[in-house]
Amino acid sequence: MHNPFSLEGKKILVTGASSGIGAQTAICVSQMGATLIITGRNEENLKKILKQLHGEGHQAIVADLCDDIEPLINSCQLLDGIVNCAGITKHLPIKFIDRKAIDQIFDINYTGPVILINRLFKLKKINPGASIVLLSSLASMFPFKGGTLYSGAKAAIDIFSKTIAIEFSSQKIRANTVNAGMVKTPLLNSAEETISKEAMQTHEKAYPLGFGETTDIANMCVFLLSDASRWITGTNIVMDGGLTAGT
Amino acid sequence: MDINDLIEKLSTEFEMNVQEKLTPATSFRGMKEWSSMHALIIIALVDAEYEVTITGNDLVQMNTVQDLYDLIMSRKK
Repeated sequence: MHNPFSLEGKKILVTGASSGIGAQTAICVSQMGATLIITGRNEENLKKILKQLHGEGHQAIVADLCDDIEPLINSCQLLDGIVNCAGITKHLPIKFIDRKAIDQIFDINYTGPVILINRLFKLKKINPGASIVLLSSLASMFPFKGGTLYSGAKAAIDIFSKTIAIEFSSQKIRANTVNAGMVKTPLLNSAEETISKEAMQTHEKAYPLGFGETTDIANMCVFLLSDASRWITGTNIVMDGGLTAGT
Repeated sequence: MDINDLIEKLSTEFEMNVQEKLTPATSFRGMKEWSSMHALIIIALVDAEYEVTITGNDLVQMNTVQDLYDLIMSRKK
């Protein structure tokens, strides 16, 4: 039986795969039959995730998207999909922003993935019909105090994604963002450290379905990579457990 | 650095009205204007001015300006 949700025969690159949403996405994508190239900064974690992937022929390549990515680009064969999960967050009130902070947050959340995808297109390593999924954030639409740099970088990613959608539609290449609210990941732990566990527990009560799990986001990525979503492009898909549905 | 230096910086960043004055004994959460924004300002200010990292959980466990000063001093290299 034909299964439009299957990823059999697809070659998928997942960035930020050494932890959190990226790691879980890599695992789920492999379970659906794809062959993966996973990349991240932490070699030890990346090797651990590589062992958890289903099937054969996967590759792990250590790379920092803010640094030299040519070795990563060179080891990529023709891709049928990309999921960009690399990213960091930081709370910084407007009065405390400086150029260094802007560079730090934008480098990994915006410039890194943009250059990666730019190089892959330039070298014709993205197949016609491929699907690009960029992890954005609910914060790109609803910013939080201290989050102007993170939210701004993610808002720029939302637009980058839409621009890919319109520039490459003739090759049936699709691009979408997943704009997630709070998900239980190492980034959440760092948010807890900054604004306290107490405050995060109160925040969770505002989510009708509670905070998300990494598998919730990974499953959306699987759908967006698959042919089942062939008519979806240039959208920002909100996943927030009902937070913004109303009160 | 002494505690007055910290008080002066905090007062400037909090943009406090003149009637409410910070002292070493001031309890942060007792302040009329206290909000989550003040917590973010304290964390960013301590990082920028003293190169000391404190967390939201540290703030939950402390009460007064003196407590904050003591914590900074204990972590400053």
